Amino acid sequence: MTEDSRLTVDAPDAPLAEGSYVPAALPVGLRRVPSGVDEVSTEHLVVNFGPQHPSTHGVLRMIIEADGEEVVGAEMSIGYLHRGIEKLAEHRRYNALGTLMDRGDYVSGIHGELAVALATEALIEVEVPEKAHWIRSLMSEVNRIASHLVWYGTFGLDAGGMGQFLYAVRDREMLLDILEAVSGSRMMFNYIRPGGVLADLPQGTDRKLLEFLDLFDIHIEEHDQLLGGNEIFQSRVHGVGVIDKETAIAFGLTGANLRASGVGFDVRRDRPYAAYDKLEFSVPMAAEGDCWARYAVRMEEMRQSARMVRQCLEGMPEGDFTAKVPKVLRPPAGEAYAAVESPRGEWGVHVVSDGTESPYRLRYRPPALFALQVVEAIMPGSLIADAIVMAGSVDLVLGEIDR
Amino acid sequence: MHPDVTAITSALRAAGVTSVEVEQTSLGVIVRPQVPELAAVLSALRDGSSVFTFMVDLFGMDTGDAVELTYHLRSLSRDEEIYVRVSVAYDGAFTSVWEAYPAALMPEREIAEMFGLTLQGHPNPKRLLTTDGLDPMLLKRIEIRGAEEVRAR
Repeated sequence: MTEDSRLTVDAPDAPLAEGSYVPAALPVGLRRVPSGVDEVSTEHLVVNFGPQHPSTHGVLRMIIEADGEEVVGAEMSIGYLHRGIEKLAEHRRYNALGTLMDRGDYVSGIHGELAVALATEALIEVEVPEKAHWIRSLMSEVNRIASHLVWYGTFGLDAGGMGQFLYAVRDREMLLDILEAVSGSRMMFNYIRPGGVLADLPQGTDRKLLEFLDLFDIHIEEHDQLLGGNEIFQSRVHGVGVIDKETAIAFGLTGANLRASGVGFDVRRDRPYAAYDKLEFSVPMAAEGDCWARYAVRMEEMRQSARMVRQCLEGMPEGDFTAKVPKVLRPPAGEAYAAVESPRGEWGVHVVSDGTESPYRLRYRPPALFALQVVEAIMPGSLIADAIVMAGSVDLVLGEIDR
Repeated sequence: MHPDVTAITSALRAAGVTSVEVEQTSLGVIVRPQVPELAAVLSALRDGSSVFTFMVDLFGMDTGDAVELTYHLRSLSRDEEIYVRVSVAYDGAFTSVWEAYPAALMPEREIAEMFGLTLQGHPNPKRLLTTDGLDPMLLKRIEIRGAEEVRAR
């Protein structure tokens, strides 16, 4: 670790992962020219980015008003992926809600299933077996690495790189194979159910995961050096898209984005669910709030996730993988809020039950929607090329934003 | 995690909001002001000693009598959460709180289109997710229809 490390950890004595790569200060010649220095003003042009544009991570339409190369106004137009998940949930049984959540944030389905299962369990007051808790934590962290790898690859694409995407997908493919072996599906898992999980881990999962982790411990450093060590990438992200602490709180930012702005709230640590209160991990934070800080925090999160996967495999208790729950759940009237730390932030599910077999109302709190609002707010004043990097840095998944 | 009901009540009284119900439920502490008092309650919670500066979520629910808006707030420094609930009549209007909580900008637009309410005081009160002419689909009276009926529309 060098002195000017931008990464700080919540507990001062918690060591950073060994060998984590922290680039030295930028060479002077590569500092980016701050926007707003251009004194010539031109006729403003309204540019529609998307909905079909490769750097919009789905179908986001950014309406950008540009003065030359500088953004003077931005509006996010969303809804192209709207499927009415909240309305559909009112017509599903509680056991089937996970399938809807999978299709919300399709990059980290396990987290959504877990959120809705936790909310349902709070209503029916079932005792979840210890082993189910550990499997849930294990699968969450495996899914988190897979999701962060997608973000890592596409963020690099936004900043002008290509190679890192191929390496990221290579690693993610191994994780998806493991997720498929466990749940039967690569992305739409439907694995976590109220009361526990669908099935026990198949034989050999731990061996497969350990093989992956041994590789990944090397690969994560390669990833970090390939993208984070690239001078062009560094000059594209340092000081770009700064979200200060007050803005982050005011706009409801959560997850790694919030922690990169210097606010240490992590649902896993502050509202422990599954087996997170028994796992040892540190919550990476940074104070700058720029794209580099978000990059550094997410890279460190992947190392922490790998650490947690190992702990889950070592500490996996014996026992049942699910509690006995009725086939058709009819929770008593009431309401419950459950949140999980998804790769994009706090994924909350608010369920209102009226005593029937489907929820009366299900509210899905999409963390990426709140991140999108911040991007809209901070975009004016930056260059168009930087606006793309900003949108990539907060990890948007449009399936979740549009629901 | 749950704030003290008496402390919240007295904090609201000190801020001049006297006729507000504060109750402890299985969900948490819920404050139920009338629509005109909403702004005063939110600013008292935000700027008072409890510092509920973080809006976790804002959503609506069709209760059968009216549309109920829930403002889910969190205090990061005290690690507490609170819910503020107001009832708005069907086809009624509600006022944006975006100046106190910018996080409400998009959720408010979503509520207005999904529950058929009018949004006042918002810088960009357009529809958020759906296209013009669609029914406010989260109201209970709107039923999910089959594909052929949609084609006939």
